[in-house]
Amino acid sequence: MPVSPKQARTLKHRSWVAFLVLPPIVFMSLFVVYPILSAFAYAFYEWRGLARGEFVGLANFREVLFGATMAPVVWNAFSHNVQTLIALMIIQNGGGFLLAWLLYKEPFGFRFHRVAVFVPVVLSTIIVGFLWKLFLNPNFGLVNQALLAVGLDFLARPWLGDSATALGALILANAWHFIGFPTLVYLAGMQRIPSDIIEAARLDGTSEWQLLKTIIWPLVAPSTTILFTLLFIGAFNWFEIPYVMAGLDGSPYGNTDVLGLVFYRTAFGNQSASIQNFGQGSALATLIFLFIVVFASMLTLWLRRREIQF
Amino acid sequence: MATVSIRDIRKSFGPVSIIKGVDVDIADGEFVILVGPSGCGKSTLLRMIAGLEDVTSGEIRIGDRLINDVPPKDRDIAMVFQSYALYPHMTVAENMGFSLRLKGTSKAEQATRVGAAAASLGLTPLLDRYPRQLSGGQRQRVAMGRAIVRDPQVFLFDEPLSNLDAKLRVAMRAEIKELHHRLKTTTVYVTHDQIEAMTMADKIVVMHDGIVEQIGAPLDLYDSPANRFVAGFIGSPAMNFVEGTMTEEGLSLPSGTILPLHQRPPAAVGSALTYGIRPEHLQLAPVGTPGAIPAVVTVVEPSGLDTTLIVKAEGGPMTVVLRERVSLRPGDAIALRPVANQSHLFDAAGLRIASL
Repeated sequence: MPVSPKQARTLKHRSWVAFLVLPPIVFMSLFVVYPILSAFAYAFYEWRGLARGEFVGLANFREVLFGATMAPVVWNAFSHNVQTLIALMIIQNGGGFLLAWLLYKEPFGFRFHRVAVFVPVVLSTIIVGFLWKLFLNPNFGLVNQALLAVGLDFLARPWLGDSATALGALILANAWHFIGFPTLVYLAGMQRIPSDIIEAARLDGTSEWQLLKTIIWPLVAPSTTILFTLLFIGAFNWFEIPYVMAGLDGSPYGNTDVLGLVFYRTAFGNQSASIQNFGQGSALATLIFLFIVVFASMLTLWLRRREIQF
Repeated sequence: MATVSIRDIRKSFGPVSIIKGVDVDIADGEFVILVGPSGCGKSTLLRMIAGLEDVTSGEIRIGDRLINDVPPKDRDIAMVFQSYALYPHMTVAENMGFSLRLKGTSKAEQATRVGAAAASLGLTPLLDRYPRQLSGGQRQRVAMGRAIVRDPQVFLFDEPLSNLDAKLRVAMRAEIKELHHRLKTTTVYVTHDQIEAMTMADKIVVMHDGIVEQIGAPLDLYDSPANRFVAGFIGSPAMNFVEGTMTEEGLSLPSGTILPLHQRPPAAVGSALTYGIRPEHLQLAPVGTPGAIPAVVTVVEPSGLDTTLIVKAEGGPMTVVLRERVSLRPGDAIALRPVANQSHLFDAAGLRIASL
C-alpha cells in the first residue's frame, strides 16, 4: 500500500519520539524496575547465603511479622520508628515552623541566621553522626562537660549508652541535622502569604499566638503536606544516624533498633552472627515499602484537603 | 465615630523622606479622600493612621486620643485593602465575624451582627462560600462587611476599587457612598483616581511628593485650584496650560494672540506666567476673532454626550470639550475663545495668582 506524505511524516515523528523515549525506559527498567520486582520476588524464596533456594510462599512474611525470632525484633524496631516519627514531627517540623516564624519577622541578623540554620542540612549524615557521638561522649563529650561546668553534673550520663536516653539522643541529633529544611520550606510558605492578609488579621485584633494558630498555620498547609509526608517516609526509612551513632545492633540492647537496621542485619548479615537471610530481608523490605506507600498516600490525601488557594 | 487629626506628620524610610509634614483635620462623620499620583505618600499616610507603619514624627489623634504608639487593633479602626485581604481559608461569615470571635463575642451575637452586615450588603446568600468562590465585586463587599461588623470609629479604605472593572467600579462607588451616608462613620479613603475623589468625597486632600498641595471640597478644588499641580491633577480631561508673558494689553501667548485680562493680576509686565483653562471652557469662534486662540484639529472624539477635540495650538496639544456636535475633521483650522472668568494664571513657582 502506498504511503501518503502525511502518513510518512507521522511515522517519522513517531520513530523520533520512540528513539528519544526508548533508551531511558530501557535504562529505568533494567536498573530500577527489575531490581524492585526481583526484591519483591525474593521475598517468596528461601535464600540464605549465595544462591536462591526454593519457593516458600508467604513463610518469610509470616516469620517477619509473627515468628518467634524475627517478630519481637521487628516490632521493637517498628515502635522505635513510630516514636521517632512522633518526636521529629514535634521537634523537627514544629521547631522548624517556629524558627521560620522567627526568621519571617526579620529580626536583627536574620540573613545570617537564615543561612546558619540550613548549614547542618548540607553536612553529610556520617559527619553529623560522628560529631554528635563526640558531643555525647560520656567522658570528654561537650554535653557532659557543659553540664559539669554549670554545676548540673547530676544530669550528666552516658547518653548513648543509657537505654532511657539513647533513642532520644539520636532523635535530637537528627533534628539538629535537618531542622533547617522544614524551616526554609515553612519560611517560603509564609513569604507566600500576602502581607495584606497578615495586616488585616492584626487590625482584626489577633495576638501573636492567635495569628500563628488561626492565620499562618492554615495558610502554610501546602508546606505542611510536603514536610509531614517527607518526614513520614524518612522516619520509617531511618538508617544513617542510628547506624553511625549506635551501631548495627541498635545498642544498647536494641533500644535504638529501627526497621532499617533490622533489614540490613537480616539481608546483608550481622557481623557478630554472620547470618544472611535475603528472603526474610526482602520480605521485611517489601512490608516497609507497602506500609510507607499506603500510609504516606493516606497522609498526603488527608493533608491536601486542608490546603487552600489564595 | 470620631474626628481624626493629623499634625505635622513625617515619615522617612532611612534617609528617604516619604511624608514631609502633613496636617489634616477630619471632622466627625466626614468622608475624606487622599488623592495623588503614585508615590505621593497617600497610602503611607493611611497606613500610619491604621498603625501599620510607624510615625517618624508628628501626632495622629482619633478623637482626643493620641494613637501614635497604640497597636493597630486598639485604634478602633477598620480597613479595607486594595487586594481585599480576605482570609482564604475562612467562609464569608467567618471572615466577617473573625474580629468578633477574637474579642470573645458570643456566637449568637456574632451571628446577629454578621447577619445584619451581610443583609445590608446583599451578602446573605454567600455567607457559606469561600473567597475563591466569589467574584471581585463580591469579595470587595465582603471586605466592607468585615469592616462594618466591627462598628469602628473610623473606616480606612486603601484604593478599594482599583482591582475592579470600570463598570463595577462605578457601581461600587455609589454603594460605598450610600453606605457612608447610612452609617455616617468617619472615613479616610485613598485613591489615585481623581474621578473617584471628585464623586465621593466631602473633602479632598491632594497630595504630591509627600506634602499636601490643597485641601478642600471637590468643586472648590476644581474651580479654585491652589496651584498648577492641583489644577492639572483634578479634572478629566486635564486642564490646558499655555506659557505666556504679561504685557500691558493682556497675556501674550506664543502664537502672538493677546488674551485680554478683565482684571489686573498681581504680576509685573514682562513676567512669565502660565495660563490654564479647562477643556470645557473653550468655545469655537470664527477664525481670526481677536482674543481667540488659533488651532488646528488633530483628533475628533465624539462620545454622544459631548465631543472632545484634540487640537494643536500655541505650540502644543490642547483638549477641548464641546457640548454641541460638530462636523470638524482633522486638519481643519479653528479658533478657540476662552469663556470669561473661567481661566487661571499661575506664576513661575506654580501658584495661582489670579482667576480671569
